Amino acid sequence: MSDVVPLLVAVPILAAVAALVLGQWNERVSWGVAFLASAVQVGMAGLLAATVLGGETVRYEVGNFGVPYGIELVVDGLSASVALLVAVVSLGVLVYSRVAGPRTPAFHAEYLLLVAGLSGMSVTGDVFNLYVFLEITGLAAYALVASGDSGRAAVGALKYLLIGTVGASLYLLGVGYAFIATGTLNMADLSEQLADVGYSDPLVLTAFALIVTGLAVKSALFPLHTWQPEAYASAPDSVSAFISALVSTVSAYAIARMVLSVFTVGFFAANPVAQNIVVGLAGLSVVAGSALAVTQTEVKRMLAYSSVSQFGLVVAAFALATESALVGGTIHLLGHAIMKGGLFLTAGAIAMATGARHVSEYRGLASRRPFLAGSFAVLALAMVGVPPAVGFVGKWYIALAAVQAESWFIAAVILASTLLTLAYFARLVERMYFAGSPPTAPETAETPGPTTDAAVADGGSDGGDAAASTAVAPSIVALVAIVAVSAVALGFVATEFAQMLEQTLPELLLP
Amino acid sequence: MVEFTAVPPAVPVLAVALLLPWLSRRVGHALGALATAVVMAWTYLVPAGAYLDVTFLGFEAVLFNVDGFSRLMGIIFGLIGTAAVTYSYFSDAENVQTAYALTYVGTSLGAVFAGDWLTLIFFWELMAITSTLLVWDYGGPAVRAGFRYALLHGIGGSLLMAAIVWHYAEVGTFLFGSLGGVDHAAGMAGVVPKVLAAVGIGVNVGFVGLHAWLPDTYPRPHIAASVFLCVFTTKTGVYGMYRAFPDGHLWIAYMGGAMAVFGASMALLQNDMRRLLSYHIQSQVGYMVAGVGIGGALATAGAFGHVYNHILYKSLLFMTVGAVIYRTGEENLKKVGGLAREMPLTCLAFTIAALSIAGFPGFNGFVSKGMVVTAAHHEHLDALWYLLLIGGVGTFMSFIKLGYYVFYHGERSHSVPDANRGQQAAMLSIAALCVAYGLYPDALFGILPGHGAEEAHPYTIPHIQEVLVLAVIALVGFFLLKKPLAKLAGVPDVDSAYEPLTFYATRATVRFVTETYAAVDRAAVAAAEVAMDTARDPRRVTRYLPGREEIGFDPEQGHVPMDTTIGTSVLILTVVLTAVLAVLLV
Repeated sequence: MSDVVPLLVAVPILAAVAALVLGQWNERVSWGVAFLASAVQVGMAGLLAATVLGGETVRYEVGNFGVPYGIELVVDGLSASVALLVAVVSLGVLVYSRVAGPRTPAFHAEYLLLVAGLSGMSVTGDVFNLYVFLEITGLAAYALVASGDSGRAAVGALKYLLIGTVGASLYLLGVGYAFIATGTLNMADLSEQLADVGYSDPLVLTAFALIVTGLAVKSALFPLHTWQPEAYASAPDSVSAFISALVSTVSAYAIARMVLSVFTVGFFAANPVAQNIVVGLAGLSVVAGSALAVTQTEVKRMLAYSSVSQFGLVVAAFALATESALVGGTIHLLGHAIMKGGLFLTAGAIAMATGARHVSEYRGLASRRPFLAGSFAVLALAMVGVPPAVGFVGKWYIALAAVQAESWFIAAVILASTLLTLAYFARLVERMYFAGSPPTAPETAETPGPTTDAAVADGGSDGGDAAASTAVAPSIVALVAIVAVSAVALGFVATEFAQMLEQTLPELLLP
Repeated sequence: MVEFTAVPPAVPVLAVALLLPWLSRRVGHALGALATAVVMAWTYLVPAGAYLDVTFLGFEAVLFNVDGFSRLMGIIFGLIGTAAVTYSYFSDAENVQTAYALTYVGTSLGAVFAGDWLTLIFFWELMAITSTLLVWDYGGPAVRAGFRYALLHGIGGSLLMAAIVWHYAEVGTFLFGSLGGVDHAAGMAGVVPKVLAAVGIGVNVGFVGLHAWLPDTYPRPHIAASVFLCVFTTKTGVYGMYRAFPDGHLWIAYMGGAMAVFGASMALLQNDMRRLLSYHIQSQVGYMVAGVGIGGALATAGAFGHVYNHILYKSLLFMTVGAVIYRTGEENLKKVGGLAREMPLTCLAFTIAALSIAGFPGFNGFVSKGMVVTAAHHEHLDALWYLLLIGGVGTFMSFIKLGYYVFYHGERSHSVPDANRGQQAAMLSIAALCVAYGLYPDALFGILPGHGAEEAHPYTIPHIQEVLVLAVIALVGFFLLKKPLAKLAGVPDVDSAYEPLTFYATRATVRFVTETYAAVDRAAVAAAEVAMDTARDPRRVTRYLPGREEIGFDPEQGHVPMDTTIGTSVLILTVVLTAVLAVLLV
């Protein structure tokens, strides 16, 4: 079983090369290669998750170099869930990108590299190896954002690149400090050595500060989020869906991994200030992200700021470091990826169909594009945390943990975030369902009916302010609807998933 | 006996309700009657105990809890469900209406078989929703009444929920204290939950002052819908009251007495037939609430016996009055008269029901009402005892009034046939049960919870004398007061005061909130704009100059809020890192 673990990284990297080379011969082949690799990835990750959630932790020593000197790959319940998420989401977005583009071999190669980087971050048990995968992820993501072919995308990608690199470097500096203090890079070994060095040692404290700040940049916590809205908004729709669902998610996972597996709860017990800083930063992120989202006029930017807020919630949960908090944080981490990825896909499909990219242009969308508007509304409500959707379950566990830990600040923040999330999504839902169609919009030629938005192109543009509407492939509408349904359906299985997680998580919480 | 306990009794009823709109009227109603009949037999046979304990969001819940109390409720709910579905079929009820009615029955069953407060409140709220839908289905004036009904039950349900949450905080579990293996005492714990629960459940049982929904809602929907409505909500309320206060409470007992008198007096003043009956629900539920409030074996058994009997004769009353409305189309008792000749069987059924509700010896109301009154006497609650007796007089008088005007007074107003065969069958079988349980009370005592039935001796000379005296007083009183009573019709109830009050208060609140919000909003937006203009890179101002456009800037949208340059971002990053280091290291 443990042989599957390195393949999670190796398969997408090899496939990336294959996609690039074969794509020179025929562009279409590169999509096929990417699809095949993603499907294999789903299979492997699923197999791994099934093993690990049974209660067994899988370890693999790369190149048979003994631990703690060699690189170790470690898969427990948390990392297996994230790896599975990466595989599933990348497969889904790939299906979407076949219609929505980009379709170049370069895109597919970068895409697969990103998958490799993300999978590597999920399974690695070595802090320097984590940095390597962090950089692979980052480089692939910068390139993907820049594939938008517009000046705006180039600027967005450049900003992402510069700030992201500074963040990654801070992380590397932190690893360096930890290495000086302990002489090891293996996570499990590091956690013991750090305890021996002493949690109040300045080297250890500095390492913690650098690592957490660096990863906070990557997961876009306020006020370190500044690269993120422009990167998400300027990238092609497939790319924004993909990176919004995964890149920050895996970075947040990395924070959890560093905080819980490397520094451990013992570090928090010895330095309550450190815990307060992380919880405070996360809480601030929740409120500020939501407040900024309310002020946005562009839908994709609004969704991006929403991520700032939701990751605040996830990181706050991990920093609380109790059992329910971990369960809630993990569920919300995974659930958010599905919901936010789905929202970006839907927003992209809506833009493809009607050209609407701003909040004001969503007026009366429900009557023109009932399926797309419906999916968007379902996903938005799921994100708000309306039961029984998965967004509710995650928030519920986090709120429960906050109350149990008597962390009233986080409890209040969760309540406020629900209201603020409602505020910015209600704005859109209201526009879509209750405001009439804009008077200047071209009269649509479609007949009202449930299948129209999939099958019929409506009348062209009148040359006014509204962009031309075009047909959307049925497969895209179906994909979007599936995501919306699964966001709700996952809410029903989340409780069972929580029980499985609870078997694998407690060892993370041992002091 | 595992197969009996695999699913809660609510499930088959709800399943039939979901199927009903797609079936023919005949098959659908037959299935509905069958399902409720099966529920009756099933709850009779299933052994006591708590089944289907599940975990929901980390809380323990019991979906099927069988003890003497829930068994009794299940039997009578199933029995009356069968009769009411039959009556619906023969009263031209639409499939959809009966489907709503069956969801209402199903959710009530769910509530009474709940073994924990969480499940109870879940079905309790669903019951409020389904009954509102049942009212709304009729359209017309029923819609507005339905709104008021939903609003009041929403408030009541929220109060009960608050009580339950607080109770949970006190004892750490939602499970009923009466279940085995639960280590807190049965009932609500602590003072605040008790008050909240009493008021919240008080809405459902129609405490004086909280009762206005009852006469407001029940007369308005379809006649068959009224038969359903008069049974489930208030009786589930009595059941819930018992679960919250298994040992009773003096104030609740006196509230019951007040309800008995108030309901009967208001009923005496009504001319709308179903409205009159609705006030009598309040009055009769008053006896049950008094029984629960007095506490002790006899009173509790009496309260539940009265629930059982009341459901029989009150649904019978709604059926007979419904039959009169069905044939004549009149809701007002002044507009009908002398119908005894026209509708002899309906008249017979009505007489049996009226004698039962008045508690005349030989009819079932006599037995159970007597148990509550006797318990009040035994406990030396003299004031309560008198209240209950006065309520009895009021009941006699208002049913003499109703029967007199509808069936005897004046020339016959309509030449109409009697109730149709199906309605007759439903009415006469319930009437037969009223008499049977009156003449042979042991049949009822056998299924009453607790040992209270052993203390009940209904047919004693003083008891019979007592009732006969009340009847005579009522008879004399009615014919003395007939004239003045006729002029007193239309006395306002509490709702004429609080409905305008709520309306204007709500409007004022909404205006105040929206105006405040608008003011705050204006202030916040202005402040935010000033702040952003100050914070933004000054060079951005140049972007507003004509003829200049930059990459990454969308001219259509103006400025992008809170967008920072790369330099500023790195500055922020440095500041944050420095701050974190400073806090950790210093």
